[in-house]
Amino acid sequence: MLSTFVNHELKAFWRSKNTGKSVAIRVVMAVLILYFLVNALFLGVFLDKILEAVFPLDDVLVSFCGILLLYFFFDLLMRMQLQELPTLRVQPYLHLPIKRNTLVKYLAATSLLSAFNIWPFVFFLPFIFKVVIADSGVAALAFIISIAGLTVFNNYLALFIKRKSNLNGWVFLASGAVLVLINLGDFMWHLYSIRDISYAFFGRMVTQPLLALVPVGMCVGVYYLNFVYLKRNLYLEDLGSGKVSAYKNSTEYPVLNRFGKVGDLVAIEIKLILRNKRSRSALVMCLFFMFYGLIFYLNPTAYGEWSKVFVGMFMTGIFIINYGQFMFSWQASHFDGILVSKIKFTDFIKAKYLLFTIVSTLAFLLTTPYVYFGWRVLLIHFIMYVWNLGVNTTIILFFANRNQRRMDLSKGASFNWEGVGATQFLVSLPLLLTPFVIYMPFKFLGYADAGLVILLVVGVLGILLRPWFTKKLEEDFNTKKFGLAEGFRNK
Amino acid sequence: MIEVTDITKVYAGKTVVNIPRLEIRQGETIGLVGNNGAGKTTLFRMILDLIRPEQGGILSKGEVVAGHEHWKDYTAAFLDEGFLIDYLTPEEYLYFIGGLHGQHKAQVDEFLITLMEFFNGEILQRGKYIRDLSKGNQCKVGIAACLLQKPELLMLDEPFANIDPSTQIRLKNLLKELNKQQGTTSIVSSHDLNHITDVSDRIILMEKGVVIKDIATNSSTLKELEDYFAVGQIERNEAPD
Repeated sequence: MLSTFVNHELKAFWRSKNTGKSVAIRVVMAVLILYFLVNALFLGVFLDKILEAVFPLDDVLVSFCGILLLYFFFDLLMRMQLQELPTLRVQPYLHLPIKRNTLVKYLAATSLLSAFNIWPFVFFLPFIFKVVIADSGVAALAFIISIAGLTVFNNYLALFIKRKSNLNGWVFLASGAVLVLINLGDFMWHLYSIRDISYAFFGRMVTQPLLALVPVGMCVGVYYLNFVYLKRNLYLEDLGSGKVSAYKNSTEYPVLNRFGKVGDLVAIEIKLILRNKRSRSALVMCLFFMFYGLIFYLNPTAYGEWSKVFVGMFMTGIFIINYGQFMFSWQASHFDGILVSKIKFTDFIKAKYLLFTIVSTLAFLLTTPYVYFGWRVLLIHFIMYVWNLGVNTTIILFFANRNQRRMDLSKGASFNWEGVGATQFLVSLPLLLTPFVIYMPFKFLGYADAGLVILLVVGVLGILLRPWFTKKLEEDFNTKKFGLAEGFRNK
Repeated sequence: MIEVTDITKVYAGKTVVNIPRLEIRQGETIGLVGNNGAGKTTLFRMILDLIRPEQGGILSKGEVVAGHEHWKDYTAAFLDEGFLIDYLTPEEYLYFIGGLHGQHKAQVDEFLITLMEFFNGEILQRGKYIRDLSKGNQCKVGIAACLLQKPELLMLDEPFANIDPSTQIRLKNLLKELNKQQGTTSIVSSHDLNHITDVSDRIILMEKGVVIKDIATNSSTLKELEDYFAVGQIERNEAPD
């Protein structure tokens, strides 16, 4: 059965409309992963030397036990942002004589095939073989078992959080906040020390190897949680339609009426975002990124002014990146209707611009409290806000004309888990890098302000040239629309 | 109204539509019939500029359809649920469509009163999004949105397929009225030979992308069609012998 699923998934991959793009992304990802693995291996092999240099007063084994828990905290945070969820279109299998457990086990098993699960071993195994095994072979085995346990634990916990947050973005926000608070409690407020806690556990394991069963137990627990959750979700749709759902009111946004037909289109898209789980959580996820500033601004010495450029763009433009890169797939299910309706494509594009402008403006207003870190922060945020409106909006719409992948918002939303993941960030890499290409040369020559002025000027120019870009995008769209419509019809 | 000249559409090396010439005059009601894969939906999509033909062109009121938008002013179509914005309530959707044609809410409401019987109390003020409606009711919303646009050209792809018998009869009456009172040109495809011969004054029969019959409806048309579809059956069954 397992091989049949793999076979079907491979066919789905190779026969999809976007195979070329997906293959290219996979190749780049593979290269990146390999690069980081080599780095991790290098660090792992010299971990004992590094620990000696960083904590010269402590015994290496003590420092090693100290960093383990920290590593897994960091690992969880990275997984929540980057790890991709395994997908399987389960609907066609549900009515067949295939056990539900088989489906769920397949999803659970394939999720282990993530690069994130290799890292801890590459990173820690060399140290265990160099140092721990010399003391006691049993202790070394205990370490390996507990590291494996924690890796799998993190794997399933991260996936569980991501699955939950795909349905409800607030879960992501809350778990992210908890993780950040735990770290702040140690490093900012010095309430406790994660290193001490980590040592208290792993240090004891050297003498009592049976403690290694604790992580294994945790891992089994969270696997079971995941298993039950997934299994319940196989029924989610039946449950949904069976329940008496609340009366759905018609709503209006009077403010948008002032923009005429363009305003109508924006109103429709706002409803799209708010009334579909997936788009709604994409919006809530944007709120999470509002905290990115804290990571950088709390350590002003570690990060230079470039971080303000990056953070400013990220925070005011995250919606453009996060929501925009799936355009026009959000509307895939009624794209034929849009093409046939009396909608001018110029209005269609203008509506996208207006939507981006509204949300980015809100995001910019939300980031104003960062003025606490100085007026210059606010100024740079504003410049990057203008940059987003002038440049990134147009770039993302250019790519939207090329995105033919259908996305079904209404059906099977519970098993529709492409969302925030590493690939998504990879696609947005050009967006993230362009401002630096302009800014960095000036910065190195000592004219950082001039770099900022140029970013602002380009941004303003982009906004002023919108009518021209709209026309170009329309011409481009007219050559691409048949492909788009066909791709979106492809279920 | 519509002039089709020399269009062909090829999918994976197979010609799915090949129509050298087809003219649809103002005020005609066309019934489009044919087995699955005959090319009915593909023809609809080409008339709506959703698919590009390999060659040939389509004129609507003497103007080229492909790449232009003038025809959107007087054409309304409902081919499948892909034409509906499913996260809206039916009211919101109908107001949106009305708004595109410059009608404000009061005008839309006024028009919807005339459709009360057609809706049979299952569409409006039910507090549901379109995606939560049954397929038949979604179809009703799509047809209502078409009628709301007061089109000169109306295109429906298998509208009788998902709706209940009462609604089928109401829809037939609506189509006949529309043609009589407003002179609406309509193209309707269907597998229901009874209904389609009842509402159309001209039947176009397609097979494997080609128009093989183009006849004015009269009392013997239904029999003729039934014979055609049944004969095909017998021939195919006997073929192996």
